[in-house]
Amino acid sequence: MPIEIPKDKWPGKIRTVTLGATAAEGGTRSKTVAIGGEASLPFMHFENPTPNPPLVAIEIKDRKPEDWSPLLAEVWSEAMNDPGAWAKAAEATGADLILLALSVTGADGKPNTPDAAVAATKAVLGATGLPLLVYGPGQVELDNELLVPVAEATRGERLVLGICEDKNYRTIVATAMANGHLVTARAPMDVNLSKQLNILISDMGMPADRILMDPTTGALGYGIEYGYSVMERLRLAALQGDAMTQGPMIVTPGFEAWKTKESKVGEGVPESWGDWKERAINWETVTAVALIETGATIVVLRHPESVKRVHRAIEELMAV
Amino acid sequence: MYIIGENIHIISDKVKEALTNRDREFFMDLAVRQVEAGAKCVDINLGPRKKDFAEVFPWIVESIEAVVDVPLSIDTTNVDGMEAALKSIKKAQPILNSTSAEPERLEKIPLLAKKYGAKVIALTMGSAGIPVAAEERVNIAVGTLIPRMLEIDFPMEDLIIDPLVLTVSGCQEYCPQLLEAVRILPYSWDPAPKISIGLSNVSNAVPPENRPLINRVYLAMLMGVGLQMMIANPFDKEQNDVIRWIESKDQSTPLARVYNKIAERIEASDEPQYEDFDLSDPEQAAIWKTVQILLNKVIYAEGYLNQ
Repeated sequence: MPIEIPKDKWPGKIRTVTLGATAAEGGTRSKTVAIGGEASLPFMHFENPTPNPPLVAIEIKDRKPEDWSPLLAEVWSEAMNDPGAWAKAAEATGADLILLALSVTGADGKPNTPDAAVAATKAVLGATGLPLLVYGPGQVELDNELLVPVAEATRGERLVLGICEDKNYRTIVATAMANGHLVTARAPMDVNLSKQLNILISDMGMPADRILMDPTTGALGYGIEYGYSVMERLRLAALQGDAMTQGPMIVTPGFEAWKTKESKVGEGVPESWGDWKERAINWETVTAVALIETGATIVVLRHPESVKRVHRAIEELMAV
Repeated sequence: MYIIGENIHIISDKVKEALTNRDREFFMDLAVRQVEAGAKCVDINLGPRKKDFAEVFPWIVESIEAVVDVPLSIDTTNVDGMEAALKSIKKAQPILNSTSAEPERLEKIPLLAKKYGAKVIALTMGSAGIPVAAEERVNIAVGTLIPRMLEIDFPMEDLIIDPLVLTVSGCQEYCPQLLEAVRILPYSWDPAPKISIGLSNVSNAVPPENRPLINRVYLAMLMGVGLQMMIANPFDKEQNDVIRWIESKDQSTPLARVYNKIAERIEASDEPQYEDFDLSDPEQAAIWKTVQILLNKVIYAEGYLNQ
């Protein structure tokens, strides 16, 4: 007896967003990438084809971070001292995107400066042809102080600037609009606040196809189920036609996974936890893949081996 | 609609200040005005008053009963405070607000109500919190609340079940479920228990300018499932219009027709439809958007009306 597989018909779909701009488009990237466009729950290929695969971004910093795991310091080694070299090494792992996170302070311990932020951004743009995301250090005034000159100095590149949060989004959105960039809108694991921030940013006149949503997430074992449910709910709302939830979702499983005890600590833990490095990479990979399965469009990772493993999982998920 | 007037509530700064000053006139005036505006009962929520309940509760009861004849609803978590108030009641049969299905409260409060011949509001909330699904809330009523009343031989006509309204801002999935709980509860027992809800809870944590609209759209839905009693603000004129329109099936204005239509659709276990509304009218468009969030069709956001 032939079995008919039931198919959902959704009135809405995820917005298609293009990152980066080539020389012909007013930027310097060697290629642009499109994300989003899905008209079904993740990987339901039999309902609707998935037009664009999820992407992996590597997070790098403008200078060697002091609080990152020694496992990461070991693998990135000397490259961590130079954002251009780090970006090149990141591209070599097969990453689809680079995320440059600006530090709070410079190597001298003084607050980071606009000149240094612009220089680091330009170094990264010069070293790699991949589309770029640039995030501020996460402090309201400093974010604005650094991101505005970065946006101006890279006009037309279609960078993704972040992070817009409800307490600080106007300046970043305004400079992104004025200089042809995109933004990431982050809300703290809450569907209502995610949607509200999208409304606020859209109200400023930012075109919807230049907004990525970061619903915030937790690592495996540290609240991932809440993040997962929020993302699932946003995806369902988007498919049901709610325009203010249709932005592609970007999440930071690398940041989340590398702050867990399981990844951070190599000594004084039960032997049954197994090999430290393998465990840490698994933690990052499993967190990322779970989030991809609930609708993440970009996952931001830190370890090169995780990039490979997540790519392999994406390949399998994309197979029709 | 039997409105229990909610305005004597310690959350209000004016009430707080008047209580500090023992401003009897303030409370008398607020009680009288609520009754004049249509309240059939006056709720008194001054908090637990752990330290001075023995003085405050009799004082407020005497003050308010001096000027109105309607029943008072004694709204506190302090059981001793409840008793102090009950001892002072001289006029109408009061309401104890409230017990829940949590063992300790369910042990004491119904006995107190019985001793003083008071009605009691019982919340469908157990120790594990408030369940989402309508059926689970009905199960708490049938499985825990009503058996306790039977056990102590409490008159069923004095039991009022409150299936608990939660806010659309953060507990959106509860909103349609509550409607179903209100619809089912009267059929859960014979004689049917009375139902009451706290209407304004639906718009907790919503910006003040949007609260009345959300309240009255939800009210139309609740009237569709048969709600006849609620704790609400009797001064809300537009809310009172909605009550009058639906109770009298008034179809004389577009707005009256729209609110009646919402109640009818919900009554028929149907959903209000796009074509029930004249969306070129901004007021009706706002009502339509509000229906969508209250039925959990569209995710609530503070700016939902601007979307």
